[in-house]
Amino acid sequence: MSLSPAWKVTTQQQRLFSGNNVLIFGLLLTALVFVFLLNIAIGSIKISLPEVASIIINRIQDESVNSTIVWQIRLPRSVSAVLGGSAIAVAGLMFQIFFRNPIVDSYVLGVSSGSTLIMALFLLGGFTMGMSTLSHYFMFLGAFFGALIITAVILLFAYKARSAVTLLVIGLMIGYLCSAATGVLMTFAENEKVKGFMIWTMGSFAGFTWEQVRLLIFLGIPFLFLALAISKPLNAFLLGEDYAKSMGVNIKLFRIFIIMVSSVLTAAVTAFAGPVAFIGMAVPHIARLVLRTSDNRVLIPATILFGGIITAICDLIARTIVAPTELNISSVTSFFGVPIVIWLLLNRRTVL
Amino acid sequence: MKMLETINLTVGHEKNKAVVEGINLEILQGQIICLLGPNGAGKSTILKSISALLAPLKGAIYIQGQDLSRIKRKNLSKILAVVLTERLNAGFFTAFDVTAMGRYPHTGFLGKLSAEDKEKVSACLRIVNAENLAQRYYNELSDGEKQKILLARALAQEPEMIILDEPTTHLDVRHKLEVMAILKRLSREKGITVIFSLHEIDLALKSCDIAVLIKEGKIVNCGAPEKVGNTKAVAALYDIDCAGFNAFMGTIEIFNSAEPSVFVVGGAGKATGIYRMLTRNNVGFCTGILHENDVDCHIAETIGVVTVKEKPFHNIGLQAYREAKNLLKETLLVVDTGFPIAESNSSNRKLVLEALQDGQRVCTMRDEKENKLLYGDWADKMIYCQSATDILQHCNGTQTFYECKERMKSVNS
Repeated sequence: MSLSPAWKVTTQQQRLFSGNNVLIFGLLLTALVFVFLLNIAIGSIKISLPEVASIIINRIQDESVNSTIVWQIRLPRSVSAVLGGSAIAVAGLMFQIFFRNPIVDSYVLGVSSGSTLIMALFLLGGFTMGMSTLSHYFMFLGAFFGALIITAVILLFAYKARSAVTLLVIGLMIGYLCSAATGVLMTFAENEKVKGFMIWTMGSFAGFTWEQVRLLIFLGIPFLFLALAISKPLNAFLLGEDYAKSMGVNIKLFRIFIIMVSSVLTAAVTAFAGPVAFIGMAVPHIARLVLRTSDNRVLIPATILFGGIITAICDLIARTIVAPTELNISSVTSFFGVPIVIWLLLNRRTVL
Repeated sequence: MKMLETINLTVGHEKNKAVVEGINLEILQGQIICLLGPNGAGKSTILKSISALLAPLKGAIYIQGQDLSRIKRKNLSKILAVVLTERLNAGFFTAFDVTAMGRYPHTGFLGKLSAEDKEKVSACLRIVNAENLAQRYYNELSDGEKQKILLARALAQEPEMIILDEPTTHLDVRHKLEVMAILKRLSREKGITVIFSLHEIDLALKSCDIAVLIKEGKIVNCGAPEKVGNTKAVAALYDIDCAGFNAFMGTIEIFNSAEPSVFVVGGAGKATGIYRMLTRNNVGFCTGILHENDVDCHIAETIGVVTVKEKPFHNIGLQAYREAKNLLKETLLVVDTGFPIAESNSSNRKLVLEALQDGQRVCTMRDEKENKLLYGDWADKMIYCQSATDILQHCNGTQTFYECKERMKSVNS
């Protein structure tokens, strides 16, 4: 009673932009750096954290075992896990808002099915484009463009579709179609090839080369910034398409923009690491619940950080828990993601 | 100033499937316009079309003289704001956040609120009496509170026109009235044009400047509520055949088509409650002798029962008296509603007295003292009732009474 409305308003805004949030972001950033270094330090050959730091900072690239491990194996893998996780998480967040559905991620529009199909063509169907053997890099490019082709098809529908739900169903249908085609290829493929293909579909950040990492950075970072840049219309979108429209958002353009940004982010990761399950679905919820806000200007940076941290931890677990064998990343993220998603569904009152 | 004009507008969701055709409206600044019509008549389609959420199939819409299809969305959002029926899930947004979203067209690239913006958002919350809700999560508010916040959000756009699709649906009476009062204030104090659709036709006709009646793909009528909102037009608009609408009283009454078995002697509004109670319980009745334009007379006629009338301010004449007497004889119970008695309706007293003398059962709502004064010793023969429902217990002999008893028996067994 004694508080004037004006006073309340200021506390409200302070809650969003200072105090608590600064602390949370500080902690997240520290955690990210720590997890990143830990990922490089832990493995079959343990390297102490200070040594890891010095190898990276001083750019020691001599003949020593440790520097080779750091620079050739673990650093590219960690960078890709962090960046890949961020990209998938933000893509998932955007799709959750776009479809106004708390349990979608960026794979719902068939992006992963697209790259899976292309990979199946390469790995199982024996498509070599006239070359005797395909380089890994070339295959990854193929998977990336496969995802983009599917996205392009979806975009054609997006321009026609009346509502996001229609689009969601179309996306699911196209995904099934791609899966069906993949299934046909698998039926006729040799067992050995199927196993290799299955491992790819499970996803892993293993074996990332600097060439691939460079591509991931080159695509991922600008598109993450693009996602940040549309946080204002994304906020408006939370109220629904019609409200967004009435406030001046160009819906058709915005739909295409969201699908494009989100799909490129997803495709880049999927092409190299395979589909990474649950990060896109669970991480945005974690960010929302920790920051207790739906404001995308805060949520997107938080999702980037959470996505990086959680994926890096999952990757670390994947390659250490049953070493020397490696689990695929999706198994770990699923074990981690499923309970969270179930818990969130049971507490839906405040979700999304 | 002309705010909105439509010329030969045809609206619909799909090509060649017009929902409403030939809409020619001219709406001035600050007017309150209400679209009335049955479900599915196309009210929402019209509202969506004039708020540029749906492209018109034919014809043109002009807002402030500009062709709507040529106005840039961003500019339009500063002229026009909407409150829609769809429910929204605002996640972790508080009521303040949702309202602040209305500042969208006025804020910069990242939508950061300036001190001025915040002040305006608070002002909008103040206008809808929702300052106290500012810090609560939108999703946790009641329907009525949510609607107020959505209204505040629309206001935060600082529009010159607000379009609301059924703004009172799902709201309780208090919030209904509150929303309508806010809309009225906006139009009168801020000169904002308000266009809405409404199902509460009584509320609508009492609050709008222009009522637009829509039925079967056409605008049936359009004009001041006094002109277009008459009893017949409303009944025809909604195809109501089980109830009547009284434009004078602004009420809707359920028809009573049961065989008359009770005669209610009313006047000065004393009988209205009893009419409704009897109708509710499906007891047929006839009533008299009422002066035309007496409240009771309006209600009785709307309910559709036989009503014996006399001209206003005239003494009850012999003709009306005889008519009432004949009707009364046929009934099983007479009800004296406790109407005030003066010279012009003294015949009603006589009517009751003679019924007593004829040995008819008479329920009375008056107390004993008053009855003694009016009917002398005959007062002892009367059945005393405290409330309207007491009368129902004495409706035995009437068809309904047995029906009720049978039903109760079967329910009990």
